[in-house]
Amino acid sequence: MREIRSTEIMVAAGARELRDRETVVVGIGLPQIACFLAKSTHAPNLTPLLEIGVANMRPKDTPVGLADSRIFYRATCWSGFLDVMGMNLHRGVVDTGFLGALEVDRYGNINTTLSKENGKVRYFNGSAGGNDVASLAKRVITIMRHEKRKLPIAVAHLTSPGYVGGRPRAELGLRGGGPHRIITDKCAIGFNKETHQAMLLSLHPGTSLEDVLANTGFALEVPKSVATTPLPTAEELRLLREEIDPKSVYLGGVG
Amino acid sequence: MPEVVASVPNGAHIGLGGFAIARNVIAIAHELIRQNKHDLTVSQGVAGLDTDLLVGAGLVRRLIIGGGSLDRFGPVHNINRAREQGSLTFEDWTSLSLCFRYLAGALGLSFIPIKSLIASEILERLEQGSGAGEVARIACPFTGEPYVAMRALVPDIAFIHVQKADEEGNCRIDGPRWENEEQAKAAKRLVIIAEEIVPTEAFQREPERTIIPAHRVEAVVHLPWAAHPTAVYGSYDYDGAHLKLYVEHSKRPERIGDYINAYIRGTKDHREYLEKIGGEAHLASLKADPELGY
Repeated sequence: MREIRSTEIMVAAGARELRDRETVVVGIGLPQIACFLAKSTHAPNLTPLLEIGVANMRPKDTPVGLADSRIFYRATCWSGFLDVMGMNLHRGVVDTGFLGALEVDRYGNINTTLSKENGKVRYFNGSAGGNDVASLAKRVITIMRHEKRKLPIAVAHLTSPGYVGGRPRAELGLRGGGPHRIITDKCAIGFNKETHQAMLLSLHPGTSLEDVLANTGFALEVPKSVATTPLPTAEELRLLREEIDPKSVYLGGVG
Repeated sequence: MPEVVASVPNGAHIGLGGFAIARNVIAIAHELIRQNKHDLTVSQGVAGLDTDLLVGAGLVRRLIIGGGSLDRFGPVHNINRAREQGSLTFEDWTSLSLCFRYLAGALGLSFIPIKSLIASEILERLEQGSGAGEVARIACPFTGEPYVAMRALVPDIAFIHVQKADEEGNCRIDGPRWENEEQAKAAKRLVIIAEEIVPTEAFQREPERTIIPAHRVEAVVHLPWAAHPTAVYGSYDYDGAHLKLYVEHSKRPERIGDYINAYIRGTKDHREYLEKIGGEAHLASLKADPELGY
């Protein structure tokens, strides 16, 4: 079997954060892949929702994004934003929001709108449903590549709120519970319950603490004992490589 | 179709029914460009190729969107570049907030409260920019809970692409439909672009599948492949090769004009455009498998 890639460890770690029987609004890209892995393994009764109005889809071909008909395949309900994001997310019945990001900061605030480099602003996709999911889901998991510039002290644009300014969510006027995990290709990050700051939870095999700290833009809290993220099982790898993303559309991103 | 597009006044607010690379009103966007419309306001939940083209061709003065993407084919380069250059008035919202604003319009409400946008820079920028008159931080009169109140959004004309309509204007939409229904029913005028015209009996047999009833529709344009190169669930797949070609042009400001001249201004109508992109033989390769829908 070929060597296990860091994206595969990341996606398997993301999948294990999802629980059976929960309702999950899934964002484009790696969240989709992790969600399908969870549903194919320990969480067969998980209900994935897509913001565009899709419930419980079971694609057989890898989609290129949210608007690709491949992702609507074998869904049990087609509706729209008003149903999925209004009558589910806004109603408060979505357990987990699962998102990708351009940047995430130490309070779990997410930027998907713009980058600032040498004073030059470049625009990206914006919120779409990202702000709505981060504001309203009971907990939020973000999955992204681990790079210093993608994990800054403060995001260049606060598209989707985490614990803004380190404040509790209720005080911010937000209903949803806020950031729960940041899963990268190097480690899993949680949040300190008192300070609401990002805190290392586990290192992926092959990654050192020094590597993580050197590639994180903010001061990551490191607890006394840090676990090692379990490797994907042989069955998880088989599902990812043969069924969920056989052409490495999403898993090829990081070496 | 040219007559319908001719009835769009310059400066009008148009709502477009596409999402990223799905069910975009491409033929309408092309005709708006051919007719040199200008100073348009465009609103859309998540902008796709249709709106990116209109911005690239310089027709848009104000853009009201929740996001924009061409999925894995790339970002909406023309829109993003226009924002960077400040060449249009830009209001950045979210998918749900725009859907709620259309819903308010569709219900005849002047405003609607929401629990997202709160504590975000999206809200701060709206308050400080051209969205200042459209948002207000309020408290629930009964519980005191904080909300963002948003003004209703009512396009002058909405253009929505559907799979099936009858001649009277009854519409069926297969697959997910994002904010189509709310946008359609908020708009003052509604124009449907239909992939296929079916007899009214088909709607009488399954009336529960009618998403937009005929009495709300001003005109139905029957135009197969009107969403190419974007996908129409159950009818055809997105055209990956053409989307790549488009992004090759749109990512460079000096090249987008070549695309517009070759494929839009250089073709007299949608039929000529379809010939230009490869005609029947090429289109046949994009037809959906009835079981898969793509």
